[in-house]
Amino acid sequence: MRPKILLTLWLLSDIALFIGVYALAYFLRVGFIFSTDFPFSQYITIVAIVSPLWIIVLATTRTFHMTRNQISMRNLAYISYAALVGLALFSLTYFFKYTTFFSRLLLIYAFILTTFATYIWHIVFQNIQRRVLSAGSPAFPTLIVGATRESRKLVESLIKKRNPLCPVAILDGRGAPDKEIAGVPVLGKLNKLEEVLEQKKITHLIQCSDLEQSLNLLSACRQRKITYLLLPSVLGIVERDEHTESLEGLPVTMVSANKRWWKWFF
Amino acid sequence: MHAFILAGGFATRLWPLTEKRAKPLLPLAGKPILTHIVEKIPEDIAVTVSTNAVFKEGFEEWKQSLNRSNIEILIEDTNHDDQKLGALGAVAQWVKDANIDDDILLLTGDNYIGFDLKEFIKAYKSNALLATHDIKDLERAKSFGTVILDENRKRNVSSFEEKPTNPKSTLVSTGCSILPANTLPILIEYAKEHPDNVGGIFEELLRKNQTVECFTFSDLWFDIGSFDAYLEATRALVGDRIIAEDGASYGETQIEESVVLGQRSKVTKSTLKNVVLFEDCTVEDCELTNCILDHHCELKGVDLVGKMIRENTKLVQEN
Repeated sequence: MRPKILLTLWLLSDIALFIGVYALAYFLRVGFIFSTDFPFSQYITIVAIVSPLWIIVLATTRTFHMTRNQISMRNLAYISYAALVGLALFSLTYFFKYTTFFSRLLLIYAFILTTFATYIWHIVFQNIQRRVLSAGSPAFPTLIVGATRESRKLVESLIKKRNPLCPVAILDGRGAPDKEIAGVPVLGKLNKLEEVLEQKKITHLIQCSDLEQSLNLLSACRQRKITYLLLPSVLGIVERDEHTESLEGLPVTMVSANKRWWKWFF
Repeated sequence: MHAFILAGGFATRLWPLTEKRAKPLLPLAGKPILTHIVEKIPEDIAVTVSTNAVFKEGFEEWKQSLNRSNIEILIEDTNHDDQKLGALGAVAQWVKDANIDDDILLLTGDNYIGFDLKEFIKAYKSNALLATHDIKDLERAKSFGTVILDENRKRNVSSFEEKPTNPKSTLVSTGCSILPANTLPILIEYAKEHPDNVGGIFEELLRKNQTVECFTFSDLWFDIGSFDAYLEATRALVGDRIIAEDGASYGETQIEESVVLGQRSKVTKSTLKNVVLFEDCTVEDCELTNCILDHHCELKGVDLVGKMIRENTKLVQEN
């Protein structure tokens, strides 16, 4: 329930923010008065009409996804892209309604304010979201499969950054000697999978090793409607040059060794 | 004589097939490994099967399916690997609790033995007797208890090493032995310090100057501890043929080498090579090689090699 309420609040707050920054852009351009040449009421009505469309555009960049780290260049790029589309939608809608144009500088203000205000608000909201979701019992109890160096780093990072995916147990196919990793108990081998999934009410499973068991882990996840995540290192991809692509409609993981610097955005 | 079968392991290497089923109850060429063993034990010998609480129901059901009354299921009160009494600990506990003062035919529930147990029992005189098999591979011998025979008295064991780093012999212990009643106090004492070391009891008997004799056989023997060993045992027992249990069918299907189809399993338009399907599996338009599917699996349009698939798995390729 908590994640749904938070997401609703996030969407509503983003709409309010969009309208707010456009209002600020108006006053920055016009001055802190209500102009009769360029009526504020007409302007803000169009902003309000466009705001839900802008939210849809923003959502297509998956910025509201729980696993998205808001503090990243990619996220800033996606938000600026959505801001640009929002601006275009606003301009077109305003022209269609009133068949008139207005200050180009206002559009530049609106674009810059939307981009940076949204980016900063998303970082703030992510912090609020993570605190709320990690308070009390975790909203998304996560099982880690594989006690490896990579999984140790992952567990430490998830805990340190209060990620909503909260590791609550670790299983290791080969029987790791560790009793715990970063405070998360290592509960044994995969023969305890069913028991752990049931007792810990697991919502997410992250496979960090035991490639040969991916079919069976997937099967267990499907049966219990658990979200399954796979670290690329399990497949031998360790250089962070992988991305998900589509090949004739089939989703594929693609590794491009000669990746160009600008590819991070696409 | 009383037979005691160790069947209390959690068999984590055979996960997910052993997720809800003890390893001795895995089907091998159409019947559980344990059934293969029990069928070889003479009818007049009482059998005790020791297992843990997790698999209790499975063993009770298995017992009901047999037409033999002198079988007892002994439940070790453990739910996890780390709470186990240990294999030898379980034997010692049973000897004490049931006041056993008889010779014990000690068997491990995950070893398939091809020889006739009557011959083995006939070979038993009054000394501890160990069934051994020459695996002719020093590397593989590292995983077993190895036996060196006395140079003068070829039937006697001169030394026994449990899982040696540098094996001196390829003659290995096969999880089948007879312990005379007079050695049971030694077993109880030894189990206090080494509850997991079943093979160690033979080292201890030799240390106590007890004679340990050897029964070497050349028939089939499999220690079914891993996926590969399980498939190898299936290949050896089934041969180049198909075993289709009640209600199983395979239309428009190419079969290569050993294939076992469990009850009511249905295969169509597929190619199967060294495959075992448990009950109620459905396979359509698949190519499976060296695979074992637990019950109620549904596969369509997928190709798999070397996989153990857990029960109720659905892998259906949408067109």
